[in-house]
Amino acid sequence: MPLAAMSAVVVLVLSACGGGGGGGASQGGVFADCKTNPNTCNSVPPDQLRQGGQITFALEKNIDNFFLLSSGGAVVDASNALRPLLPYVYGVQPDLEITLNQDVMESVEQTSDNPQTIVYKIRPEAAWSDGTPVSADDFIFTWRYQDATTCPGCAPANTAGFNQLASVTGSDGGKTVTAVFASPFADWKNLWSSGTPLYPAHIAAQQGDYTTAEGLKKIETYFSATVPTWSAGPFQVQSWENNVALTIVPNPRWYGATKPKLDRVVFRVITDATQAPIALQNNEVQVIFPQPQVDLVEQVAAIPGVSQFQQLGLAWEHIDLNLRNPFLAAEPLRDALFLAVNRQKMIDKTVGQFNPDVVPLGSNVLLPDQDGYQDSYAALGATGDLEAAKKILIDAGYTGVGTALVTPDGQAVPTLRMRYTVGNAIRQSQSEIFVAAARQLGVDFRIQTLDDLGGVLSSGDFDAIVYAYVSSPFPFGNAQQILVTGGGNNFAGYSDPRVDTLLNEAAASTDTAAGIAKLVEANAIIADASFQLPLYQKPTFLAVRNNVANARSNPTLDGPTYNIEEWGLRAP
Amino acid sequence: MLAFATRRIVGSIPVLLVSSFVVFLLASLAGNPLGPLLARNPPPPPQTIAAETARLRLDDPLLSRYWQWLTGLFHGDFGPSVISTLDIGTELGARFLVTLRLIAVAMLVALVLAVVVGVVSAVKQYSITDYSATFLGFLFLSMPSFWLAILLKQAGIGFNLALGDQVIFTIGEATPNFQGSFWERIGDVAGHLVLPTISLALISYAAWSRYQRSSMLEVLNSDYVRLARAKGLSRTTVLVRHGLRTALIPLTTVTALDLAAIISGAVVTEQVFQWRGMGDFLLNAIRTDDVYATMAWLLVTATVVIGFNLLADLLYAVLDPRIRYA
Repeated sequence: MPLAAMSAVVVLVLSACGGGGGGGASQGGVFADCKTNPNTCNSVPPDQLRQGGQITFALEKNIDNFFLLSSGGAVVDASNALRPLLPYVYGVQPDLEITLNQDVMESVEQTSDNPQTIVYKIRPEAAWSDGTPVSADDFIFTWRYQDATTCPGCAPANTAGFNQLASVTGSDGGKTVTAVFASPFADWKNLWSSGTPLYPAHIAAQQGDYTTAEGLKKIETYFSATVPTWSAGPFQVQSWENNVALTIVPNPRWYGATKPKLDRVVFRVITDATQAPIALQNNEVQVIFPQPQVDLVEQVAAIPGVSQFQQLGLAWEHIDLNLRNPFLAAEPLRDALFLAVNRQKMIDKTVGQFNPDVVPLGSNVLLPDQDGYQDSYAALGATGDLEAAKKILIDAGYTGVGTALVTPDGQAVPTLRMRYTVGNAIRQSQSEIFVAAARQLGVDFRIQTLDDLGGVLSSGDFDAIVYAYVSSPFPFGNAQQILVTGGGNNFAGYSDPRVDTLLNEAAASTDTAAGIAKLVEANAIIADASFQLPLYQKPTFLAVRNNVANARSNPTLDGPTYNIEEWGLRAP
Repeated sequence: MLAFATRRIVGSIPVLLVSSFVVFLLASLAGNPLGPLLARNPPPPPQTIAAETARLRLDDPLLSRYWQWLTGLFHGDFGPSVISTLDIGTELGARFLVTLRLIAVAMLVALVLAVVVGVVSAVKQYSITDYSATFLGFLFLSMPSFWLAILLKQAGIGFNLALGDQVIFTIGEATPNFQGSFWERIGDVAGHLVLPTISLALISYAAWSRYQRSSMLEVLNSDYVRLARAKGLSRTTVLVRHGLRTALIPLTTVTALDLAAIISGAVVTEQVFQWRGMGDFLLNAIRTDDVYATMAWLLVTATVVIGFNLLADLLYAVLDPRIRYA
């Protein structure tokens, strides 16, 4: 028996070492045209799909909370799995285009600028699976939950925009909804969109009165903990095993144009991302959507019959300098530090190893795929120009440049702290490159890891820090949060009245083009301040077995399941 | 013996209390359960942070939180998880059964393998069989469990490909929402059980087979075995009745004492094979700075380990009359 066991081990080792070969980020297969046609790639017409079948999608996190509007439920994985049940007004396409959900809505129109008034017309046939129409009541209930005043004890994920609504009223038997804003809100399309979808008011009303704090609290608890038996989307829940899988099947009362071809979709919880490619290889899952890493990308590339695609997403890495630090409050030092950093080198040593498309990002407020994007950092450098950086310091009166920096008023610049999240190898490399560049200017940074990013950011316990923001297809509110004085995500303490005015005006603008022009103008001022250096857009990663049709990458919160009703299996 | 067991149980209560207090302090001070919420982009409204702070009792002093947790245990309340919908007690109960199944089967397989290989190695000391078993024992002993698990997964996939059918699975305890007959369901569960069981069993087997070998050698060289042979008893009777029975005593206690190590191994095994047991529960709790979930895991695990240590002592006394009568 020991000999047999020894043979088995040899077989195991050989089989583990073999079967692969190759590597690199292959982006071909069924995703071959995704770069040029992100909204239509991997398409197969419905009549060419197999009728029936099952697709299993790997989720990286368990669905701990079924209420996507609450802080506990606003998680990408839960959103991917639950959106097929929920009606919403606007969705976001893979190319970041915001489109009306025509399955649910007939039309949406801004009928007045002052006060800003939006009229939503719901399709007559739009209904929940128990036959109750999708109506104004659903809009009113979800507004009340997210308006920040009706239920102070509730924990909504976001209140932006909902807290600016003066009224939401129904007419036309509940099929017309009129929303009036107390103050203008440029990102109005973000309300009741796929990020904050509608929940059934008639189910909520069974738990409590949604116009009162007590009622809303009960409703929040109910929706958070209860597996939905209802649906107003193309699928409905068949079964849920906590920590294991959510199974959805076609909703027989689905009123939309495209009827699902699949018998079921299983969302399988695989919390260890390194195990997902093995499950894909063994055909236990057919779709995975993990964070890309070099090893993972190469591992998937070696699996026969599998296609992968990386798309530059909405999350972007950046280095922030803490303006509360008296030494970093001096702009020449910040200018010199950012000029000395070579962003391309950072990319080449990290994400560039598995995605050659990643390039330095040039804006703090818009991403390259969004209208109005301009590179505000091209002229400012961040190319590792040490001589130019040293000249800035010398011209400003600093001494000890290149050895031990001393400020113009004679103070030695002390050792500062560069922080990143422990265990994040990419950010470790970025920190090391930044620290090495600073050292050549005579500024000593000590790298210090952190395991509580939220705590460190909110307390300002850093001198420099590298982390990521998740941007939004709705850019105005996002810019306010990260750059306006006192903004919820303005962790570096940046404050400039000119920027405040521009961004607040942009967020209150009912003219999108004018709003974007203000964003661009503000970003030039922000870039000139050299406190937040955008590095690059983080890629997202989608891999599917080649028989999966119509599934494609969507880097937004809508995720790859944005068109799940179209998914199917290629006919053999 | 009852007095001995009672003394041991009572003596373990202060150990549990002190260890729970230390872990509570460390876990509470090590992380910030609100961290992920504070880092969100867009930021949650202040009312949400306030509501979560109150729910997780973060406004209360540390000692007060510990006291609330301790007294809550008597009412079956394990405290609030960072996951607002999670009932720690219910979740832990379900996961305990999953881990128990994995550990029980793995221990059984490991024990059978260890006894057989240990005895054969001892009987055929310094033969090629003995050398092979020794080599394998040390190989598995030195192999990181996660690496062994990955190798097994690849072997399983290779087996499926060779068979042209999917009979071995690499994740989970069973196929979710499985459609099929009773026997097909049994096959599905077995297909999910085989790799994690082998992975966990091989590591314990390695150490135990070494114990069994040395124990068996010691017994085979003892005077009473020589006497039994001299009296003309058959080789099988000497080996099984007089040799193996005595040589099993040390392994029995080692097995009970090794439970803590097996639970540690199960943490890795459950993670790699995505079993939703106690190990996966612990890793999630640590990852999310979930103090009360961590405490619940510690309480259950510490109780089981203390219980098995006591069991080892009692078993030793039962199996070895010299201890019992001492």
